[in-house]
Amino acid sequence: MRIIKTAVAAAALTALLAACGQGSATKEAAAPDGKTTVRYMNFSANDGHEKDLTAIVNAFQTANPDITVQVETVPYANYFTKLQTAVAGGTAADAFELNYENFVTYAKNGSLAELKEVDAAAYKKSLYDAFTTDGKQYGVPESFSNVVLFYNKDLFKKAGVAEPNADWTWKDEQAAAEKLTNKGAKVWGDYQPVSYNEFYKVLAQTGGEFLNADRTEATFNSPQGVEAAKFLVGKVGKTMPTEADGAGTPDFDSKLFKSGKLAMWHTGIWMFSGMADAPFNWDVAVEPGNTQKASAMFVNGLVVNAASKNAEAAQKWITYLAASDKTTETRLATSWELPPVADEAKLAPYLQQPKPANRKAVFTALEETVLPPVIERQQEMQDIVTQELTSAAAGRKPVEKALADAQTKVNGLLKK
Amino acid sequence: MNGTMDRTEDPTVSRPVESTANRTTTTRRPRNWKTLGWVLFFLLPSAIPLFVFTLVPMVSSLWVSLHKWNLISPMEWVGFRNYTNLLTDETTRRVFLHTLIYVAGYLPIVYAGGLVLALALNQKLKGRAFLRATYFLPVVTSWVVVALVWKWLLNPTNGLVNQLLGAVGLPEPGWWTDPQWALPAVILSSAWKDLGFVMVILLAGLQSIPNDFYEAAKVDGSNAWQRFWRITLPLLSPSTFFVVVISLINGFQVFDQVYVMTAGGPSGSSQVVVGQIYDLTFRYGRAGEASALSWILFALILVITVIQIRGQRRWVHYA
Amino acid sequence: MRDTRSLPARIALYCAVLAGAAIMLFPFLWTVITSITPEGSLADGPTLIVDDPTLGAYRTLLDAMPIWRILVNSLAIAVASTVLQLITGSMAAYGFARLHFPLKNVVFGFYLATLMVPLQVLVVPLFIEMKTFNLQDTYFALLAPTIASAFGVFLLRQAVTAVPLELDEAATIDGAGHLRIFTTIVLPLIRPALATVAVFAFMGSWNSFLWPLVVIRSPEFMTLPLGLSTLQGQFTTQWDVVMAGSVVSIVPIAIVYLLAQRHIIAGVAHTGIK
Repeated sequence: MRIIKTAVAAAALTALLAACGQGSATKEAAAPDGKTTVRYMNFSANDGHEKDLTAIVNAFQTANPDITVQVETVPYANYFTKLQTAVAGGTAADAFELNYENFVTYAKNGSLAELKEVDAAAYKKSLYDAFTTDGKQYGVPESFSNVVLFYNKDLFKKAGVAEPNADWTWKDEQAAAEKLTNKGAKVWGDYQPVSYNEFYKVLAQTGGEFLNADRTEATFNSPQGVEAAKFLVGKVGKTMPTEADGAGTPDFDSKLFKSGKLAMWHTGIWMFSGMADAPFNWDVAVEPGNTQKASAMFVNGLVVNAASKNAEAAQKWITYLAASDKTTETRLATSWELPPVADEAKLAPYLQQPKPANRKAVFTALEETVLPPVIERQQEMQDIVTQELTSAAAGRKPVEKALADAQTKVNGLLKK
Repeated sequence: MNGTMDRTEDPTVSRPVESTANRTTTTRRPRNWKTLGWVLFFLLPSAIPLFVFTLVPMVSSLWVSLHKWNLISPMEWVGFRNYTNLLTDETTRRVFLHTLIYVAGYLPIVYAGGLVLALALNQKLKGRAFLRATYFLPVVTSWVVVALVWKWLLNPTNGLVNQLLGAVGLPEPGWWTDPQWALPAVILSSAWKDLGFVMVILLAGLQSIPNDFYEAAKVDGSNAWQRFWRITLPLLSPSTFFVVVISLINGFQVFDQVYVMTAGGPSGSSQVVVGQIYDLTFRYGRAGEASALSWILFALILVITVIQIRGQRRWVHYA
Repeated sequence: MRDTRSLPARIALYCAVLAGAAIMLFPFLWTVITSITPEGSLADGPTLIVDDPTLGAYRTLLDAMPIWRILVNSLAIAVASTVLQLITGSMAAYGFARLHFPLKNVVFGFYLATLMVPLQVLVVPLFIEMKTFNLQDTYFALLAPTIASAFGVFLLRQAVTAVPLELDEAATIDGAGHLRIFTTIVLPLIRPALATVAVFAFMGSWNSFLWPLVVIRSPEFMTLPLGLSTLQGQFTTQWDVVMAGSVVSIVPIAIVYLLAQRHIIAGVAHTGIK
């Protein structure tokens, strides 16, 4: 009987699978000859920097022969789903990566081990302090990147518009964007997503505050808030493509810029390598401000799991990964975000790389930065603000109403 | 052939002539023990894994639903507060409404379309195997790809669909960029993707209808239309029943397509129950409320399924 | 009924079916085209003729991950899950359709109930359960939730119910027991349904994402959807490689369907049972 045969085969297969399964489950318990294994989970090496991370791991293991680092790389989109489940099940890695926005939630919930005797002087102070909560150090900065204004030099030349410089304000940007937009040729003047991440920044550029000082109330529904939101929303359909034009679909903006159909683009320095082979001249400038300058900065941090049995070795690894010269070299050589080191001389190689010419702007922008406002229910807040602004951008709500609604909802989150 | 007896659901209405088949209703104990042995033999291989790997987690989630829990810190007992909060929450009402609209739009399209397809591809056609495989392709294609393609097809300004609508003078909706049309866009693409699923199940059903019935009906002089209504549809009813029950169970848990096509937007206009459950669990750190919401959904699906099972003896014909 | 159709009607039917097929085929063609277009972009829409097609994306795919290992994992889990679901499902189907026992409807209700709670809330408790048994990060953990499925039981139960009871009765008179009736009479007659369940079981396991994501952490257990998800970066995605990955994931199921189809077609219709 074929059925019976298949059944037997299946049973055998299952037994086999269960057997190899067992093999691996017991594997981690065994500590090979006095060595400590540190499990490290991260997202930032995914899709392009896996080999760079391996190089750093190897260098660390050579320097610390008694520690083995086991890397697990998960794509950003699924990272937090996996991390949360692992924390819930008590299987989270000894050390892991957290972006600044999520750090607060984990620190406040007691999931992170306090780091002791960290060499604070090795890090840029503002970045180091971002990972302090209630006076305790729960993480070290790992890398950072900021947002600058990319622009297509060829398009500017063709339209006879002066190129952006560090003195530009919103007005200059708007005027240039209007001249550069040519809907007939499907060329757009500007691209800046209508989202939480852009809003808190333009709010800061107008001198507004997103939250009050002790983070108990949202304060963005202010005259500055309305001005900032109107600046963002006003671009849509006028100098910037709408959702119906494809905005918001994956990689829409990078493709648009790379195909030479976008004159100005607000995006992160992580796009440098992707645009290196663009078939036209482009450069970057510090983002224009309104009443003041403010550049968005995104920081990733490294933390140790509070439940880790190898906390000491884990801390050794994360401080190496954060601030060792090997890491600094690797990051700069591979354009893998920027190392958070205090010693700016170490960053010199970054400025020597060819494209874009005005790399200096990356560091100029750092002089006046703004970190994302963070609350415990971060993701909900971000979703609310983005959603309300999108409504305004699509013309379903006046800007004032959208901001008022967003503020009421965010205050609701702060109360609970 | 009009034996509409429903032996599975109601053993008490068995046919009087079933002397040999009626093995169980005897009162002699050894017989009962033996039957019980057979029942265990046939059911345990599925019952044990379903119990351990689905029912146990279900009960745990019931427990979770009585707590406040963000997955990363210890649970905190809140009793039924998650339920009372959800039941008075406007968002809950909205996501259930969207889910109902989805199901109401999706089911008729996918069933009617799947039936037509199954009937057409049950004919003797050249390249029939290839055609069936073609219609099945969307079922196996991942939603990530399908969503991208459909977003392009339904692009409000230069999508193929609106170009066609414009050419015949029909209004061109904003589809996934318009709160009014986001759900219809999801329904349309889901129905398109699942047509092949329904087709395959109905094909299997059609194949098990004995040809003799059609021969006999032809001898009686009935036309194709009459044969469809009197033979095909009634004898297909077990498959139809299955498709409807499963499509409703799955339809109420619609998630993937919404997640990749609209992410619940614009402005939450296409957010569905499971989308909300996912966001609550993995994005908002509110696993307790997510579990409670899924048990409210469970109750709804259960009621609807029970109604269908109760109602089946009116229209489902087992051969 | 099938032979008496007029020629124009047949042609019309054929045209309609072909047109429909073209619509169905379109996204798959698009996937294939994007995968062989250099720097392919889905956002631009498809161009039917690729200027200089390249297999570069497939090569990148080979370099980006241990694709053979991943394929073997996915295949092994999918085959095991399919075979197990066919066995557990058909047995349960026979039990529900042919045996009479108290509370049968309630038990069947419990089976169906397992389909009614979304996976999204079950993942975390199930993961904690696996952890308790120390079975996380194993092949078994990948397989566990798909050993039996109520979907399969339900579909097969419908099929068993459609098998004429007279056949069982005749066999019983010949002295056959349940096991023989099940294997020699019922199973051969529900082949179309078995093939259907096989297709869906294979597909379910093959495309499964959330559970493997959560339960697997060693790269050696990685399955295809997990591997493909690593192609999407935080900021950019190489669509040509993603599409190449999609083609690699679609083709095996399409083959499974083509294989199963023979059985779906060759049903009981031709036997002179009744």
